[in-house]
Amino acid sequence: MSSLVSLIILLLIDASFSWIRMFIALFFSIIISLIIGIYAARSETSGRIIVPILDVFETLPILTFFPFVIIVFVAPGILPTYIGYNAAVIFLIITSMVWNISFGVYEAIRTLPKEFIEVAGLYHLTGWQRLTKILIPASMPHVVEQSALSWSIGLFYLVTSEIFSTGGSTLYTVQGIGVELTKLAFSNNLGAYLAGIVVFVIFVVATRFLFFRPLEKHFNKSGMHKSSERLTIFKRMLDFDTYSRILKLHRRLSSQAKPETKKIQPEITQTNKIRKRSYRYLYVMAAIALIGVIAYLFVLYPILGTYEYEALISILASLARIWFAFAVILIIAIPLCTFLIFISKHSESYMLLFQIIASIPATILLPIVALALSPYPFHGELVAFVVFFLSGIWYIVFSVIASSRTLSSDIFDIKKLFHVKGGTAFRKIYLKAIIPGLVTGAVTAIAAEWNASIVAEYFTTTAIYGGTLVSSVNIGIGKFLDTSLSSGNLTLMFIGLVNLTVMIILVNMFLWKRLYSRLSKIYG
Amino acid sequence: MEKAVQQTVQNIRVNRMAVVDVEHIVFAFSGNATIINDVTFSADKSEFVSIIGPSGCGKSTLLRIMAGLIKPTSGRVMYHGREITHPVNGISFVFQDFGLLPWLTSTENVKLGLSLMTISEEKKEKRARLLLDKIGLHGFEDSYPNVLSGGMKQRVGLARAIVSDPQVLLMDEPFSSVDELTADALRSDVVDMLKNKKISVSSVIMVTHNVEEAVELSDKIVVLSDKPAVIKKIISVEIKYPRSRRSKEFMDAADNVYAALTG
Repeated sequence: MSSLVSLIILLLIDASFSWIRMFIALFFSIIISLIIGIYAARSETSGRIIVPILDVFETLPILTFFPFVIIVFVAPGILPTYIGYNAAVIFLIITSMVWNISFGVYEAIRTLPKEFIEVAGLYHLTGWQRLTKILIPASMPHVVEQSALSWSIGLFYLVTSEIFSTGGSTLYTVQGIGVELTKLAFSNNLGAYLAGIVVFVIFVVATRFLFFRPLEKHFNKSGMHKSSERLTIFKRMLDFDTYSRILKLHRRLSSQAKPETKKIQPEITQTNKIRKRSYRYLYVMAAIALIGVIAYLFVLYPILGTYEYEALISILASLARIWFAFAVILIIAIPLCTFLIFISKHSESYMLLFQIIASIPATILLPIVALALSPYPFHGELVAFVVFFLSGIWYIVFSVIASSRTLSSDIFDIKKLFHVKGGTAFRKIYLKAIIPGLVTGAVTAIAAEWNASIVAEYFTTTAIYGGTLVSSVNIGIGKFLDTSLSSGNLTLMFIGLVNLTVMIILVNMFLWKRLYSRLSKIYG
Repeated sequence: MEKAVQQTVQNIRVNRMAVVDVEHIVFAFSGNATIINDVTFSADKSEFVSIIGPSGCGKSTLLRIMAGLIKPTSGRVMYHGREITHPVNGISFVFQDFGLLPWLTSTENVKLGLSLMTISEEKKEKRARLLLDKIGLHGFEDSYPNVLSGGMKQRVGLARAIVSDPQVLLMDEPFSSVDELTADALRSDVVDMLKNKKISVSSVIMVTHNVEEAVELSDKIVVLSDKPAVIKKIISVEIKYPRSRRSKEFMDAADNVYAALTG
């Protein structure tokens, strides 16, 4: 009994430490985002450069920042070890949180009604007053919305953040729920591990209801926001973090933005068009520069050719794995969503259940998944599949549910009034109604799967028990990045990252954007 | 002789019999205040009935109860003497915001109205296209709703509602989402179709908050009060169609409705 009490106290302390780090990271993320977002939105040229950079950084997995963290916070020994470690962990969490919030601020300022700025001019507000009276308050609803999402992304990388390694050195914090859960999972104490998960979920749910919901309520009261939303049936449904991401993506991807008449500067009536042009401009520049540098380097160092080959093969393997998992997700998610949106009378209860399940990041479940699957053949592949599946599915489900909230309630009346039944209803109404949500969800789900590859494809206990390989696929970009980092080969890691980034950008350009513009012709 | 007279009387009675009977409808959201209180009226064959009242008084809810989409708290709606508990064949609906599915073309949207019919796909297709042509949408049969103007969208909505040859048409502020000129054109088309028997519909029940519109179209105007909606007055309008808004009798009728609304 006393051991249980002490375990729970231990877990509570660990979770509290993690949560304090998360809150500090969130605080800094918001400050940084306000600076970046407002700066990017207020000037045409800066936006043209900053937005694509944010986009790229958002797609990079967290371990990209490991070497930097070591160099800045840990290696110099300026900071006391304890503070240095924690600063490093907080910094890593920030790198997973900040991009979203920056986009939120950017969007908020870009869509700010022109009158607000005119008011500032009319009443001769100073720069600081403009910031505190107009720009920051106008950004806050978006900031809160995006923060809730960033929080769950931060949790996804909590384990990875609390245990970071490069070269020979592996460092981890003493207190932290991420570290603790990993330890418990490998101490063969299933009960303790499950207790850890329960504590984790309680913390997640409590944060949602005690922190984010009151904040959202507070900042939505001003009515700044979502004013154009039509009467919808799912309004009462619990909000989920992905909703905001979907909206953001929707805005970002739809190349055919309706001309919005009230913008800060009259010349930017079509933000997206300009953004698209700015992307192209930057992509071309970056591509040319990159090709030049790469060609030069390849001539200089022939070994790079081998590296490049390895990276490409790894990416192809991961691509196959990720898209297979995605196909399975679709097979499950489409009927599930149809049921939840159109058929079930208890969808709100189901949603609550799903949200709680979804709040447990796949990374936290990884140890137990790896252990459970270890007796089976191809267990590295199985583990990778499960992690990819878990990291992707909720984005699809919640995206579809969220976008169904913008469906007119007339749709349900139409089905009843005109007696549309069975197959026709599925083909003509249900399936088509969920397609936009499906596509936006797919973009985020696939991105999440790529980000998860570093944990899904290669999983060791290096961090804590000195180097047992728990599960690994034969070949894959996640494994590639992990092994190149832990062997201290930063050149190899860098090549992998560049390839990954290019691949993600290409898929965005050639698949998702095209699909989006086709859809927006019909769905408007 | 006597028998014959009796027969005639019966015939008249049958003809005069209400197509839709709204009987003591009460509606309240569970635990909340009553929205609609004891509303009773009827729509006869060949009758155009308008329900008019302040915004948010529950007019649309009342119409949806008649359509069988919402269950009343108490009271009932009868269609040819049978209680409506769910949407029935023979009663159709026109939405305020058109209610078109954005991912279906005009023709496909109209075809939804034929879902209950057991005719081949080709026949459905043909019927939908023919009607779209007749209703003035030739050339837009394969367009998606978001390229159509508001007036065109409502024509598609109307086509979908009448394609199955219903007897009763329920319209929820059908002309309020389009501009005034378009609304005018749509209204005269609707009057033309109804009064010249170009379509199967014989009874129309329309919700509106526009007094002139109600007077222009209706044989009978049901005036509702605000919160809860109770019937203040039922006014019959006996002016020959087509009605000119400038005529003295029109203005008198409109004044009458205004007085009932505000009084």
